[in-house]
Amino acid sequence: MAVTFKPGSPIWCSGCGHFGVESALKQSLNNLSIEPHEAMVLAGIGCSGTIQNYIGCYGYHALHGRVLPTATGVAAANPALTVIAAGGDGDGYAIGCGHLIHTIRRNPSLLYIVMNNGTYGLTKGQPSPTAVDRADQEHAVDAIQLALTIPGSTFLARGYVGQIRQLVSLVDAALTHVRNKCGFAFLEVISPCVTYNDNYPSWRELLVNLDSDDSYDCGDRTAAIANYARLTAEGRLPSGLIYQGSATTFEDAIGVTVKNSPACQDLSVSRHIDRYRKQMDMYAI
Amino acid sequence: MTDSALAPSNIVDDLVDAERQETVSDINVMVAGRGGDGSLTIVTLLSRLLGQRGFHMCSSRDVASRIKGGHAAAMLRGSLQPRWCMNDHLDIAVGFDEDTLKHAGPLLKDGSVVIYDSSLGEPDAAKVPEGVQLIAIPFGRMAVRDLRRELFKNSFSFGLLTRCLRVDDSEAIAILSAHVQRFPADIARANVEALEKGFGFADELGLHEGTGPLPLAKSDHQKRLLMSGNQAAAFGFLAAGGRFFAGYPITPATDIMDWLRPRLPEFGGALVQAEDELAAINLATGASLGGARAMTATSGPGLSLMLEGVGNLGATEIPLVIVDVQRSGPSTGMPTKPEQSDMEMMVFGGHGEFPRIVLTPCDQEDCFEISFRATNLSQHLQCPVFLALDQGIGQDSVTMDPFELEQLEIDTGKRLTAEELAGMAEYVSYQISDDGVSPWAVPGTRGGMNLVTGNEHDEWGLVTTEPGMRKQMMDKRARKIEMARDLLPKARRGGVEGARIGIISVGMVCGAVREAVERLQARGVDVEILEPRTIGPVLDETIEFVNAHDRTYVVELNHEGQLARIITGEGVPSAKILSVRQCDGTPFRPGGLVTEIEQRENAHGRDV
Repeated sequence: MAVTFKPGSPIWCSGCGHFGVESALKQSLNNLSIEPHEAMVLAGIGCSGTIQNYIGCYGYHALHGRVLPTATGVAAANPALTVIAAGGDGDGYAIGCGHLIHTIRRNPSLLYIVMNNGTYGLTKGQPSPTAVDRADQEHAVDAIQLALTIPGSTFLARGYVGQIRQLVSLVDAALTHVRNKCGFAFLEVISPCVTYNDNYPSWRELLVNLDSDDSYDCGDRTAAIANYARLTAEGRLPSGLIYQGSATTFEDAIGVTVKNSPACQDLSVSRHIDRYRKQMDMYAI
Repeated sequence: MTDSALAPSNIVDDLVDAERQETVSDINVMVAGRGGDGSLTIVTLLSRLLGQRGFHMCSSRDVASRIKGGHAAAMLRGSLQPRWCMNDHLDIAVGFDEDTLKHAGPLLKDGSVVIYDSSLGEPDAAKVPEGVQLIAIPFGRMAVRDLRRELFKNSFSFGLLTRCLRVDDSEAIAILSAHVQRFPADIARANVEALEKGFGFADELGLHEGTGPLPLAKSDHQKRLLMSGNQAAAFGFLAAGGRFFAGYPITPATDIMDWLRPRLPEFGGALVQAEDELAAINLATGASLGGARAMTATSGPGLSLMLEGVGNLGATEIPLVIVDVQRSGPSTGMPTKPEQSDMEMMVFGGHGEFPRIVLTPCDQEDCFEISFRATNLSQHLQCPVFLALDQGIGQDSVTMDPFELEQLEIDTGKRLTAEELAGMAEYVSYQISDDGVSPWAVPGTRGGMNLVTGNEHDEWGLVTTEPGMRKQMMDKRARKIEMARDLLPKARRGGVEGARIGIISVGMVCGAVREAVERLQARGVDVEILEPRTIGPVLDETIEFVNAHDRTYVVELNHEGQLARIITGEGVPSAKILSVRQCDGTPFRPGGLVTEIEQRENAHGRDV
């Protein structure tokens, strides 16, 4: 087999949360026996947007904020692929916020991992949309909570790099959801920036692990919304699998299947010439 | 039958010219009314009639930026010679609102016929020039009175029209019957009834069968297609293996998305209507990256949004066809009016420097071939390829010969299979090659893993800023275009070969230029035509053309002369280029161009 690119060494600072995401992703790809050529990682702009260089599968570096429409395009053309989109909270919730909402509405079967650290690390520490206590006093947004209120959402979860075992099992569950063509898996990962927003100590207290609560029904959207609101009012945040349900997927809506995808068509003119002529005849005068 | 309150007025006694034998072989008709009132049906009926009689046709619509209401007009020109633009004047105007005479008035001439619906009031005689024959009848009110639906006024007035054209009633009835056969039987019948009432009215005016003032010529019917450039471009893409489209609705490009929406799924493809143009270009980029042949289509405002994405395609080396159906700018501008003011944006726009192709079809029929070739070129060169259309070429329909499909071939470019990969020692996805194009594995191909990025990168796709590699990569990408010049569509030529004066145009302007040059030749002014079909890069043939002529008129629909600048930017002496520009939202007409060129030639001291 031909030698392909050698994955590089991460540019991340020592102690960066993103190492945890990289590790969890690699473990999960291994757990699910997903071969390198079967997966594609597309990442946005930022420190998190270099993760595709380190995994060894097909990789793409997207424009800032545009990883979701690009990943959706890949999934539409080539549904045989396991498509993984990744980015930071600035990439995903600031410039990319509009696309996030519409991707949830579309419900394509792909995984979106957001490495949430409340800062724009690569550009030296400006506050991002999830940052609190900011000089400009803008209010923070919670994208998972927002996604809960959009009817097309089918898989919403939050992990934390400080709890790697849980994170791996969340990635496993998310990738399984995607590979079963159940729709969009949105996994936010608390992934602290040691350099500009080192809040590692606070998360153990702030996060409430729903996976350890046997009474929590992640299939009940109404209860999930109420539960989420109750927790945030207490100044805390849910982690684990927050919601999983079903809705029409993007692939079903546009009619693409693995066996008959846009990327695998026989395009030769001779094969379709009679049908092309029929199209022309509609304009005959 | 005649109700005196509804009796026609303003009848010109000598309307009928039964003596005239010379037939009309070039006829320009306008039908105007309120947007959405069905008056365009008459144009459809007329086009069937002209088509059956072997006429070439071009049709255009003048609509306001609204859904219904407002003044809307359709123009139809039928000619036994192929034509691609409207004539300088109208032979017939059919009007259902007061604005008709305001817009049609300046285009009428001695001998024109106006059929006017006086339901809304008597026509303003001041707007009707000397020698125009005016028939004012309250069609709308009559349709309501006799047939209970105002919509039937169209069939009424078609009867007046066919009588003017000296078309046998039986032929007119056949045309209408064919058109209405898809309606419920009672509606179809009512339409034919309305037509026959129209004949009855014509009789009362003295406009009997076989006596009309504009006897329409007849020629053998030829099977032709009546298509717009948008439709032809969409079809060219489909035929070239196009299987993914993402777009956002925008006038006047939406037709392309509308055409592909039901068809792509039938051919195993997919279409996504995006949330905005930023999503559209990135969806299309993703689909192309994922291995499907992809297209997006927009107009000026959308392309401004997409430019970051265009540069990304150039830097990452991903194929995509991008259609800009240009409209009047800047900003929101005049959404339904034509212009050619995005050319510099397509040729130069986007930060940084990256490879791209800009193609300019010269008429509606050419949109098919250029779109087909653009799709192949994008795959071959792994770069963005622009299709520069304009509102005129995009939305005006023109008759053309059916496309020859048998000889068409798909060019897959340097796409690697799993078998080829298995036999290679290494797969270097941005390999620096002689022609600048690197081999490429579609994601999902075993053994073809690669990194695609808009960061500057080395041959493995790993990010780098190393100066030596940076220079090599910039040269590689630029080399792709330089080495591919022979593959790019060459210009169409016309006019008088060897003439001292040249004329250059692209898009919708070509139709007016072709006709103007014909008239100039008849008046003793010889001009040679070049219609470049590639303006990015500017091909040697264009430079040679300008250098070979004493002076060359560059005719374009914009304010600053973008095409002239693009050409002079390649080093031709600017004194050799005479810029002819117009950007008031109206198309060039042949007569206007003839006048302009003759005036300029006189200024050069030439005898014309």
